Amino acid sequence: MKTISAYRRPDGRIGLRNHVLVISLVSCSNAVVSRIAQATGAVPITHEFGCVEFEEDHKRTKLALISAGTNPNVYGALLVGLGCEQTSMADLLLAISAAGKHVEAILIQKEGGVPEAVARGIEIVKGLQEGASRQERIPCGAEGLVVGVQCGGSDWTTAVAGNTVIGAMSDLVIANGGSVLMSEVMGFPGSEHIVAANAVNREVGLQILEMISDLRSEYFELYGQPIQEVNPTPGNKAGGITTLVEKSMGNIKKMGNAPIQGILQLGEPIPHPGLWVVDNRAQGPDPFNITGFAIQGANVAVFSSGRGSPVGCAVMPVIKITGNPETFENLRSIIDFNAGLVIKGQSISETGAALYDLLLKVADGELTKSELNGNLEYTIPREPARKKRQAHCVAGGFGHVSKK
Amino acid sequence: MKKAIRVDQKDNVAVVAQDTLKGDIIDCGGLEVHATDNIPLGHKIALDQIEKGAFVVKFGVPIGRASQRIETGDHVHIHNLEDITGELCKVYEKKFREMGA
Repeated sequence: MKTISAYRRPDGRIGLRNHVLVISLVSCSNAVVSRIAQATGAVPITHEFGCVEFEEDHKRTKLALISAGTNPNVYGALLVGLGCEQTSMADLLLAISAAGKHVEAILIQKEGGVPEAVARGIEIVKGLQEGASRQERIPCGAEGLVVGVQCGGSDWTTAVAGNTVIGAMSDLVIANGGSVLMSEVMGFPGSEHIVAANAVNREVGLQILEMISDLRSEYFELYGQPIQEVNPTPGNKAGGITTLVEKSMGNIKKMGNAPIQGILQLGEPIPHPGLWVVDNRAQGPDPFNITGFAIQGANVAVFSSGRGSPVGCAVMPVIKITGNPETFENLRSIIDFNAGLVIKGQSISETGAALYDLLLKVADGELTKSELNGNLEYTIPREPARKKRQAHCVAGGFGHVSKK
Repeated sequence: MKKAIRVDQKDNVAVVAQDTLKGDIIDCGGLEVHATDNIPLGHKIALDQIEKGAFVVKFGVPIGRASQRIETGDHVHIHNLEDITGELCKVYEKKFREMGA
Protein backbone atom coordinates (compact mmCIF):
# COMPACT_ATOMS: atom_id res chain seq x y z
CA MET A 1 0.00 0.00 0.00
CA LYS A 2 1.15 3.54 -0.82
CA THR A 3 1.95 5.89 2.05
CA ILE A 4 1.63 9.66 2.14
CA SER A 5 2.38 12.15 4.90
CA ALA A 6 -0.69 14.04 6.01
CA TYR A 7 -2.54 15.48 9.01
CA ARG A 8 -4.59 12.92 10.95
CA ARG A 9 -7.84 14.55 12.13
CA PRO A 10 -9.74 13.67 15.33
CA ASP A 11 -12.55 12.09 13.23
CA GLY A 12 -10.04 9.72 11.59
CA ARG A 13 -10.00 11.43 8.20
CA ILE A 14 -6.76 12.81 6.76
CA GLY A 15 -5.94 16.37 5.76
CA LEU A 16 -3.51 17.12 2.93
CA ARG A 17 -3.44 20.76 3.97
CA ASN A 18 -3.75 22.47 7.35
CA HIS A 19 -5.81 25.55 6.58
CA VAL A 20 -7.14 28.17 8.94
CA LEU A 21 -10.31 29.62 7.41
CA VAL A 22 -12.13 32.90 7.93
CA ILE A 23 -15.78 32.17 7.13
CA SER A 24 -18.34 34.84 6.39
CA LEU A 25 -21.84 34.09 7.74
CA VAL A 26 -23.55 36.66 5.55
CA SER A 27 -22.54 38.85 2.61
CA CYS A 28 -22.57 41.85 5.03
CA SER A 29 -19.43 40.49 6.70
CA ASN A 30 -17.49 39.68 3.50
CA ALA A 31 -15.30 42.80 3.65
CA VAL A 32 -14.22 42.11 7.24
CA VAL A 33 -13.43 38.50 6.26
CA SER A 34 -11.35 39.63 3.28
CA ARG A 35 -9.36 42.10 5.38
CA ILE A 36 -8.63 39.56 8.12
CA ALA A 37 -7.56 37.01 5.50
CA GLN A 38 -5.32 39.51 3.71
CA ALA A 39 -3.61 40.52 6.93
CA THR A 40 -2.99 36.95 8.12
CA GLY A 41 -2.73 34.77 5.01
CA ALA A 42 -5.71 32.72 6.23
CA VAL A 43 -8.14 31.41 3.60
CA PRO A 44 -11.32 33.51 3.19
CA ILE A 45 -14.74 31.98 2.52
CA THR A 46 -17.08 34.69 1.24
CA HIS A 47 -20.41 34.40 -0.61
CA GLU A 48 -23.54 36.35 -1.49
CA PHE A 49 -26.00 34.63 0.86
CA GLY A 50 -26.86 34.20 4.54
CA CYS A 51 -29.95 36.36 4.98
CA VAL A 52 -33.56 36.56 3.74
CA GLU A 53 -33.21 33.18 2.07
CA PHE A 54 -35.97 30.62 1.51
CA GLU A 55 -35.65 27.52 3.65
CA GLU A 56 -34.16 25.20 0.99
CA ASP A 57 -31.69 27.83 -0.17
CA HIS A 58 -30.61 28.58 3.37
CA LYS A 59 -30.13 24.88 4.15
CA ARG A 60 -27.70 24.74 1.24
CA THR A 61 -25.85 27.87 2.44
CA LYS A 62 -25.44 26.41 5.94
CA LEU A 63 -24.37 23.02 4.58
CA ALA A 64 -21.71 24.68 2.42
CA LEU A 65 -20.33 26.85 5.25
CA ILE A 66 -20.30 24.02 7.80
CA SER A 67 -18.68 21.70 5.24
CA ALA A 68 -15.94 24.23 4.57
CA GLY A 69 -15.16 24.33 8.29
CA THR A 70 -15.26 20.56 8.73
CA ASN A 71 -13.28 19.63 5.58
CA PRO A 72 -10.35 17.37 6.54
CA ASN A 73 -7.87 19.89 5.07
CA VAL A 74 -8.95 22.44 7.69
CA TYR A 75 -7.34 22.88 11.11
CA GLY A 76 -9.64 25.57 12.41
CA ALA A 77 -11.81 28.55 11.51
CA LEU A 78 -12.91 31.98 12.59
CA LEU A 79 -16.59 32.65 11.89
CA VAL A 80 -17.49 36.27 11.16
CA GLY A 81 -21.10 37.44 11.34
CA LEU A 82 -22.80 40.80 11.41
CA GLY A 83 -25.10 40.06 14.34
CA CYS A 84 -28.60 40.01 12.85
CA GLU A 85 -28.20 37.59 9.91
CA GLN A 86 -30.28 34.51 9.20
CA THR A 87 -27.27 32.14 9.46
CA SER A 88 -27.16 30.81 13.01
CA MET A 89 -23.74 31.31 14.58
CA ALA A 90 -24.63 28.78 17.29
CA ASP A 91 -25.45 26.06 14.73
CA LEU A 92 -22.22 26.64 12.82
CA LEU A 93 -20.08 26.69 15.98
CA LEU A 94 -21.65 23.47 17.19
CA ALA A 95 -21.35 21.59 13.89
CA ILE A 96 -17.77 22.64 13.14
CA SER A 97 -16.47 22.04 16.67
CA ALA A 98 -18.22 18.63 16.73
CA ALA A 99 -15.83 17.61 13.92
CA GLY A 100 -12.94 18.31 16.30
CA LYS A 101 -12.00 21.65 14.74
CA HIS A 102 -10.74 24.73 16.57
CA VAL A 103 -13.43 27.29 15.90
CA GLU A 104 -14.05 30.83 17.15
CA ALA A 105 -16.57 33.53 16.33
CA ILE A 106 -16.99 37.30 16.20
CA LEU A 107 -19.93 39.56 15.34
CA ILE A 108 -19.28 42.98 13.80
CA GLN A 109 -22.10 44.62 15.79
CA LYS A 110 -20.71 43.24 19.07
CA GLU A 111 -17.10 44.16 18.32
CA GLY A 112 -18.14 47.81 17.84
CA GLY A 113 -17.61 48.19 14.09
CA VAL A 114 -15.43 47.18 11.18
CA PRO A 115 -11.92 48.26 12.28
CA GLU A 116 -12.61 46.72 15.69
CA ALA A 117 -13.82 43.44 14.20
CA VAL A 118 -10.84 43.30 11.82
CA ALA A 119 -8.37 43.87 14.67
CA ARG A 120 -10.01 41.28 16.92
CA GLY A 121 -10.28 38.82 14.01
CA ILE A 122 -6.57 39.16 13.16
CA GLU A 123 -5.68 38.46 16.79
CA ILE A 124 -7.86 35.31 16.88
CA VAL A 125 -6.62 34.01 13.52
CA LYS A 126 -2.98 34.45 14.58
CA GLY A 127 -3.73 32.30 17.63
CA LEU A 128 -5.35 29.63 15.44
CA GLN A 129 -2.40 29.72 13.03
CA GLU A 130 0.01 29.21 15.92
CA GLY A 131 -1.93 26.10 16.91
CA ALA A 132 -1.95 24.91 13.30
CA SER A 133 1.82 25.36 13.01
CA ARG A 134 2.32 22.91 15.88
CA GLN A 135 0.54 20.14 13.91
CA GLU A 136 2.79 17.72 12.07
CA ARG A 137 2.32 15.55 9.05
CA ILE A 138 2.48 11.86 9.89
CA PRO A 139 2.63 8.80 7.63
CA CYS A 140 -0.89 7.87 6.51
CA GLY A 141 -2.16 5.27 4.03
CA ALA A 142 -3.24 6.44 0.60
CA GLU A 143 -6.68 4.94 1.39
CA GLY A 144 -7.47 8.27 3.08
CA LEU A 145 -7.46 10.06 -0.27
CA VAL A 146 -10.87 11.30 -1.37
CA VAL A 147 -10.47 12.60 -4.92
CA GLY A 148 -13.10 14.59 -6.83
CA VAL A 149 -12.80 14.29 -10.63
CA GLN A 150 -14.11 16.88 -13.05
CA CYS A 151 -13.67 18.48 -16.44
CA GLY A 152 -14.53 21.85 -17.96
CA GLY A 153 -13.45 24.16 -20.78
CA SER A 154 -13.37 21.12 -23.04
CA ASP A 155 -11.96 20.67 -26.52
CA TRP A 156 -11.44 17.64 -28.79
CA THR A 157 -8.67 16.29 -26.51
CA THR A 158 -10.71 16.27 -23.29
CA ALA A 159 -12.54 12.98 -23.88
CA VAL A 160 -9.72 11.00 -25.50
CA ALA A 161 -6.70 12.26 -23.54
CA GLY A 162 -7.65 14.35 -20.44
CA ASN A 163 -10.54 12.29 -19.10
CA THR A 164 -9.22 8.84 -20.07
CA VAL A 165 -6.01 9.67 -18.18
CA ILE A 166 -8.06 10.77 -15.14
CA GLY A 167 -9.96 7.45 -15.45
CA ALA A 168 -6.69 5.49 -15.35
CA MET A 169 -5.67 7.51 -12.26
CA SER A 170 -9.08 6.90 -10.63
CA ASP A 171 -8.53 3.14 -11.01
CA LEU A 172 -5.20 3.47 -9.15
CA VAL A 173 -6.79 5.57 -6.37
CA ILE A 174 -9.38 2.82 -5.84
CA ALA A 175 -6.83 -0.02 -6.18
CA ASN A 176 -4.87 1.61 -3.33
CA GLY A 177 -7.95 1.74 -1.10
CA GLY A 178 -8.97 5.36 -1.66
CA SER A 179 -12.16 7.06 -2.83
CA VAL A 180 -13.14 8.81 -6.05
CA LEU A 181 -16.11 11.17 -6.32
CA MET A 182 -17.76 11.87 -9.67
CA SER A 183 -20.55 14.42 -10.15
CA GLU A 184 -21.52 16.25 -13.40
CA VAL A 185 -24.58 13.96 -13.50
CA MET A 186 -26.17 16.33 -16.05
CA GLY A 187 -23.70 14.75 -18.47
CA PHE A 188 -24.77 11.15 -17.74
CA PRO A 189 -27.89 10.86 -19.98
CA GLY A 190 -26.92 8.84 -23.02
CA SER A 191 -24.55 6.54 -21.19
CA GLU A 192 -26.62 5.69 -18.12
CA HIS A 193 -26.77 2.10 -19.36
CA ILE A 194 -22.96 1.93 -19.12
CA VAL A 195 -22.83 3.71 -15.75
CA ALA A 196 -25.52 1.40 -14.34
CA ALA A 197 -23.65 -1.65 -15.66
CA ASN A 198 -20.67 -0.55 -13.53
CA ALA A 199 -22.76 -0.48 -10.35
CA VAL A 200 -21.59 -2.68 -7.49
CA ASN A 201 -25.02 -4.40 -7.35
CA ARG A 202 -28.48 -4.40 -8.93
CA GLU A 203 -29.95 -2.01 -6.36
CA VAL A 204 -27.34 0.68 -7.05
CA GLY A 205 -27.77 0.11 -10.80
CA LEU A 206 -31.51 0.75 -10.47
CA GLN A 207 -30.84 3.89 -8.39
CA ILE A 208 -28.61 5.21 -11.18
CA LEU A 209 -31.30 4.53 -13.81
CA GLU A 210 -33.94 6.22 -11.60
CA MET A 211 -31.74 9.28 -11.09
CA ILE A 212 -31.14 9.70 -14.82
CA SER A 213 -34.79 9.10 -15.68
CA ASP A 214 -35.71 11.81 -13.14
CA LEU A 215 -33.07 14.10 -14.58
CA ARG A 216 -34.32 13.57 -18.14
CA SER A 217 -37.88 14.53 -17.19
CA GLU A 218 -36.59 17.50 -15.16
CA TYR A 219 -34.73 18.71 -18.25
CA PHE A 220 -37.81 18.26 -20.42
CA GLU A 221 -40.05 20.16 -17.98
CA LEU A 222 -37.58 23.03 -17.78
CA TYR A 223 -36.58 23.40 -21.42
CA GLY A 224 -39.48 21.77 -23.27
CA GLN A 225 -37.18 19.51 -25.30
CA PRO A 226 -35.65 16.10 -24.61
CA ILE A 227 -31.90 16.09 -23.93
CA GLN A 228 -31.17 13.98 -27.03
CA GLU A 229 -32.76 16.59 -29.32
CA VAL A 230 -30.28 19.27 -28.29
CA ASN A 231 -27.27 16.96 -27.87
CA PRO A 232 -24.75 16.58 -29.36
CA THR A 233 -24.80 20.30 -30.17
CA PRO A 234 -23.85 21.64 -33.64
CA GLY A 235 -20.53 22.69 -32.04
CA ASN A 236 -19.95 19.14 -30.75
CA LYS A 237 -20.65 17.77 -34.24
CA ALA A 238 -18.30 20.22 -35.92
CA GLY A 239 -15.65 19.03 -33.45
CA GLY A 240 -16.14 15.37 -34.40
CA ILE A 241 -18.69 14.07 -31.87
CA THR A 242 -21.46 12.18 -33.71
CA THR A 243 -23.77 10.65 -31.09
CA LEU A 244 -25.08 11.35 -27.58
CA VAL A 245 -23.60 8.18 -26.09
CA GLU A 246 -20.24 9.24 -27.52
CA LYS A 247 -20.49 12.71 -25.96
CA SER A 248 -21.63 11.31 -22.63
CA MET A 249 -18.89 8.65 -22.52
CA GLY A 250 -16.29 11.39 -22.81
CA ASN A 251 -17.56 12.69 -19.45
CA ILE A 252 -17.92 9.42 -17.57
CA LYS A 253 -14.49 8.07 -18.59
CA LYS A 254 -13.11 10.05 -15.63
CA MET A 255 -14.61 7.47 -13.26
CA GLY A 256 -12.42 4.66 -14.57
CA ASN A 257 -13.59 1.06 -14.33
CA ALA A 258 -14.13 0.47 -10.60
CA PRO A 259 -17.59 -0.58 -9.37
CA ILE A 260 -19.84 2.33 -8.34
CA GLN A 261 -20.70 1.97 -4.65
CA GLY A 262 -23.74 4.25 -4.66
CA ILE A 263 -25.22 7.70 -5.16
CA LEU A 264 -24.66 10.37 -2.51
CA GLN A 265 -26.82 13.45 -2.04
CA LEU A 266 -24.92 16.65 -1.30
CA GLY A 267 -23.86 16.58 2.36
CA GLU A 268 -24.37 12.83 2.77
CA PRO A 269 -21.30 11.23 4.36
CA ILE A 270 -19.25 8.69 2.36
CA PRO A 271 -20.10 5.29 3.96
CA HIS A 272 -16.91 3.49 2.90
CA PRO A 273 -14.03 4.01 0.43
CA GLY A 274 -14.57 3.39 -3.28
CA LEU A 275 -16.09 5.09 -6.31
CA TRP A 276 -19.17 7.22 -5.57
CA VAL A 277 -21.49 9.36 -7.68
CA VAL A 278 -22.52 12.69 -6.12
CA ASP A 279 -26.00 13.74 -7.28
CA ASN A 280 -25.09 17.41 -7.74
CA ARG A 281 -27.35 18.85 -10.45
CA ALA A 282 -26.18 22.44 -10.08
CA GLN A 283 -26.06 23.99 -13.55
CA GLY A 284 -23.41 26.65 -13.53
CA PRO A 285 -19.71 27.37 -13.68
CA ASP A 286 -17.11 24.68 -12.83
CA PRO A 287 -16.60 25.76 -9.18
CA PHE A 288 -20.17 24.54 -8.48
CA ASN A 289 -19.03 20.94 -8.85
CA ILE A 290 -15.60 21.45 -7.28
CA THR A 291 -17.22 23.03 -4.21
CA GLY A 292 -19.64 20.07 -4.20
CA PHE A 293 -16.66 17.73 -3.76
CA ALA A 294 -15.32 19.88 -0.90
CA ILE A 295 -18.77 19.66 0.72
CA GLN A 296 -18.58 15.83 0.49
CA GLY A 297 -15.26 15.92 2.36
CA ALA A 298 -12.93 15.42 -0.60
CA ASN A 299 -9.36 16.39 0.27
CA VAL A 300 -8.18 16.89 -3.33
CA ALA A 301 -9.64 17.27 -6.84
CA VAL A 302 -8.34 16.58 -10.34
CA PHE A 303 -9.69 18.72 -13.16
CA SER A 304 -9.10 18.31 -16.89
CA SER A 305 -9.48 21.17 -19.32
CA GLY A 306 -8.61 21.11 -23.00
CA ARG A 307 -8.73 24.88 -23.33
CA GLY A 308 -7.20 25.57 -19.91
CA SER A 309 -8.82 26.76 -16.69
CA PRO A 310 -7.30 28.41 -13.60
CA VAL A 311 -9.99 27.29 -11.12
CA GLY A 312 -9.09 25.98 -7.69
CA CYS A 313 -10.80 25.63 -4.33
CA ALA A 314 -10.53 27.39 -0.98
CA VAL A 315 -10.17 24.16 1.00
CA MET A 316 -8.59 21.68 -1.44
CA PRO A 317 -5.68 21.50 -3.85
CA VAL A 318 -7.05 21.15 -7.39
CA ILE A 319 -4.66 19.45 -9.82
CA LYS A 320 -5.19 20.86 -13.29
CA ILE A 321 -4.46 18.70 -16.31
CA THR A 322 -4.92 19.19 -20.04
CA GLY A 323 -5.11 16.68 -22.87
CA ASN A 324 -3.99 19.36 -25.30
CA PRO A 325 -0.17 19.67 -25.60
CA GLU A 326 -0.46 23.20 -27.05
CA THR A 327 -2.63 24.36 -24.15
CA PHE A 328 -0.05 22.93 -21.74
CA GLU A 329 2.76 24.93 -23.39
CA ASN A 330 0.68 28.13 -23.58
CA LEU A 331 -0.74 27.98 -20.04
CA ARG A 332 2.02 26.44 -17.94
CA SER A 333 1.32 28.88 -15.09
CA ILE A 334 -2.15 27.38 -14.48
CA ILE A 335 -1.75 23.71 -15.51
CA ASP A 336 0.04 21.07 -13.44
CA PHE A 337 0.10 18.07 -15.73
CA ASN A 338 0.43 17.38 -19.46
CA ALA A 339 -1.94 14.57 -20.45
CA GLY A 340 -1.32 15.75 -24.02
CA LEU A 341 1.51 13.20 -24.09
CA VAL A 342 -1.29 10.77 -25.05
CA ILE A 343 -1.80 12.79 -28.25
CA LYS A 344 1.94 12.44 -28.91
CA GLY A 345 1.70 8.65 -28.57
CA GLN A 346 2.25 7.86 -24.86
CA SER A 347 -0.16 5.23 -23.51
CA ILE A 348 -3.19 6.21 -21.44
CA SER A 349 -2.29 3.77 -18.62
CA GLU A 350 1.30 5.04 -18.38
CA THR A 351 0.11 8.67 -18.32
CA GLY A 352 -2.56 7.83 -15.72
CA ALA A 353 0.11 6.25 -13.51
CA ALA A 354 2.22 9.43 -13.80
CA LEU A 355 -0.83 11.48 -12.79
CA TYR A 356 -1.35 9.22 -9.76
CA ASP A 357 2.31 9.84 -8.77
CA LEU A 358 1.68 13.60 -8.98
CA LEU A 359 -1.47 13.15 -6.86
CA LEU A 360 0.64 11.50 -4.12
CA LYS A 361 3.19 14.35 -4.27
CA VAL A 362 0.42 16.94 -3.95
CA ALA A 363 -1.02 14.93 -1.06
CA ASP A 364 2.43 15.14 0.58
CA GLY A 365 2.32 18.92 0.36
CA GLU A 366 3.57 19.90 -3.13
CA LEU A 367 1.58 23.01 -4.05
CA THR A 368 -0.63 23.01 -7.14
CA LYS A 369 -0.74 25.89 -9.61
CA SER A 370 -4.22 26.81 -8.37
CA GLU A 371 -2.83 27.20 -4.83
CA LEU A 372 0.24 29.15 -6.00
CA ASN A 373 -2.01 31.47 -7.99
CA GLY A 374 -4.43 32.04 -5.12
CA ASN A 375 -7.41 30.45 -6.88
CA LEU A 376 -9.45 29.99 -3.72
CA GLU A 377 -12.93 29.61 -5.20
CA TYR A 378 -15.76 28.40 -2.99
CA THR A 379 -19.00 28.72 -4.95
CA ILE A 380 -22.07 27.38 -3.20
CA PRO A 381 -23.82 25.08 -5.69
CA ARG A 382 -27.43 26.09 -6.42
CA GLU A 383 -29.92 23.76 -8.05
CA PRO A 384 -32.67 25.79 -9.72
CA ALA A 385 -34.10 22.75 -11.53
CA ARG A 386 -35.14 20.79 -8.45
CA LYS A 387 -36.16 23.96 -6.63
CA LYS A 388 -38.34 25.12 -9.49
CA ARG A 389 -40.28 21.84 -9.44
CA GLN A 390 -40.96 22.25 -5.73
CA ALA A 391 -41.99 25.88 -6.22
CA HIS A 392 -44.36 24.76 -8.98
CA CYS A 393 -46.16 22.41 -6.55
CA VAL A 394 -46.60 25.21 -4.00
CA ALA A 395 -47.96 27.59 -6.64
CA GLY A 396 -50.41 24.88 -7.73
CA GLY A 397 -51.61 24.58 -4.13
CA PHE A 398 -52.37 28.27 -3.87
CA GLY A 399 -54.23 28.17 -7.18
CA HIS A 400 -56.46 25.44 -5.81
CA VAL A 401 -57.23 27.40 -2.61
CA SER A 402 -58.12 30.63 -4.47
CA LYS A 403 -60.65 28.81 -6.67
CA LYS A 404 -62.79 27.82 -3.68
CA MET B 1 3.90 10.30 -38.98
CA LYS B 2 0.38 11.66 -38.49
CA LYS B 3 -1.43 10.11 -35.53
CA ALA B 4 -4.84 8.99 -34.30
CA ILE B 5 -5.80 7.99 -30.76
CA ARG B 6 -7.43 4.63 -30.16
CA VAL B 7 -8.83 4.77 -26.63
CA ASP B 8 -9.67 1.07 -26.18
CA GLN B 9 -8.38 -2.07 -27.89
CA LYS B 10 -12.02 -2.98 -28.71
CA ASP B 11 -12.53 0.26 -30.67
CA ASN B 12 -13.02 0.09 -34.46
CA VAL B 13 -12.51 3.86 -34.81
CA ALA B 14 -9.76 6.24 -33.64
CA VAL B 15 -9.64 10.04 -33.29
CA VAL B 16 -7.24 11.84 -35.64
CA ALA B 17 -4.82 14.17 -33.82
CA GLN B 18 -4.38 16.58 -36.75
CA ASP B 19 -6.17 17.60 -39.92
CA THR B 20 -5.79 14.59 -42.16
CA LEU B 21 -5.75 14.43 -45.97
CA LYS B 22 -6.95 11.64 -48.22
CA GLY B 23 -4.00 9.31 -48.79
CA ASP B 24 -2.22 10.14 -45.51
CA ILE B 25 -0.86 7.19 -43.55
CA ILE B 26 -2.04 7.41 -39.94
CA ASP B 27 -0.42 5.72 -36.95
CA CYS B 28 -3.32 4.55 -34.78
CA GLY B 29 -1.46 3.22 -31.76
CA GLY B 30 0.83 0.91 -33.78
CA LEU B 31 -1.77 0.13 -36.45
CA GLU B 32 -1.15 1.95 -39.77
CA VAL B 33 -4.22 3.05 -41.70
CA HIS B 34 -4.50 4.85 -45.07
CA ALA B 35 -7.03 7.71 -44.87
CA THR B 36 -9.57 7.42 -47.69
CA ASP B 37 -11.12 10.84 -46.95
CA ASN B 38 -10.05 14.24 -45.68
CA ILE B 39 -10.68 14.01 -41.91
CA PRO B 40 -10.70 17.13 -39.71
CA LEU B 41 -8.83 17.21 -36.37
CA GLY B 42 -10.80 15.47 -33.61
CA HIS B 43 -12.95 13.43 -36.02
CA LYS B 44 -13.02 9.64 -36.30
CA ILE B 45 -11.22 7.33 -38.73
CA ALA B 46 -12.33 3.70 -39.27
CA LEU B 47 -9.70 1.14 -38.24
CA ASP B 48 -11.52 -1.76 -39.86
CA GLN B 49 -14.31 -2.59 -42.29
CA ILE B 50 -17.66 -2.01 -40.57
CA GLU B 51 -20.70 -3.63 -42.18
CA LYS B 52 -23.95 -1.67 -42.56
CA GLY B 53 -25.93 -2.18 -39.33
CA ALA B 54 -22.86 -3.12 -37.23
CA PHE B 55 -21.85 -1.20 -34.13
CA VAL B 56 -19.27 1.55 -34.25
CA VAL B 57 -17.20 1.11 -31.08
CA LYS B 58 -15.32 3.90 -29.25
CA PHE B 59 -14.28 4.04 -25.56
CA GLY B 60 -14.80 0.25 -25.70
CA VAL B 61 -18.61 0.60 -26.09
CA PRO B 62 -21.04 0.91 -29.03
CA ILE B 63 -21.58 4.61 -29.78
CA GLY B 64 -23.92 4.03 -32.73
CA ARG B 65 -24.64 1.91 -35.81
CA ALA B 66 -23.10 2.09 -39.29
CA SER B 67 -25.82 3.43 -41.60
CA GLN B 68 -23.82 2.21 -44.62
CA ARG B 69 -20.82 -0.03 -45.16
CA ILE B 70 -17.69 1.72 -43.83
CA GLU B 71 -14.23 0.90 -45.27
CA THR B 72 -10.95 1.00 -43.35
CA GLY B 73 -9.62 4.58 -43.40
CA ASP B 74 -13.02 6.21 -43.96
CA HIS B 75 -14.14 9.32 -42.11
CA VAL B 76 -16.83 8.18 -39.62
CA HIS B 77 -19.40 10.84 -38.77
CA ILE B 78 -23.09 11.76 -39.21
CA HIS B 79 -23.10 10.66 -42.90
CA ASN B 80 -22.39 6.98 -42.07
CA LEU B 81 -23.00 6.66 -38.30
CA GLU B 82 -26.52 6.57 -36.90
CA ASP B 83 -27.21 7.81 -33.34
CA ILE B 84 -29.05 4.95 -31.59
CA THR B 85 -28.43 6.18 -28.04
CA GLY B 86 -32.12 5.97 -27.10
CA GLU B 87 -32.30 2.37 -28.29
CA LEU B 88 -29.10 1.37 -26.45
CA CYS B 89 -30.35 2.94 -23.20
CA LYS B 90 -33.84 1.37 -23.51
CA VAL B 91 -32.67 -2.15 -24.45
CA TYR B 92 -30.22 -2.16 -21.58
CA GLU B 93 -32.67 -0.75 -19.06
CA LYS B 94 -35.29 -3.37 -20.02
CA LYS B 95 -32.76 -6.21 -19.72
CA PHE B 96 -31.46 -4.83 -16.43
CA ARG B 97 -34.92 -4.45 -14.89
CA GLU B 98 -36.01 -7.94 -15.96
CA MET B 99 -32.79 -9.48 -14.65
CA GLY B 100 -33.52 -11.09 -11.27
CA ALA B 101 -36.81 -9.18 -10.98
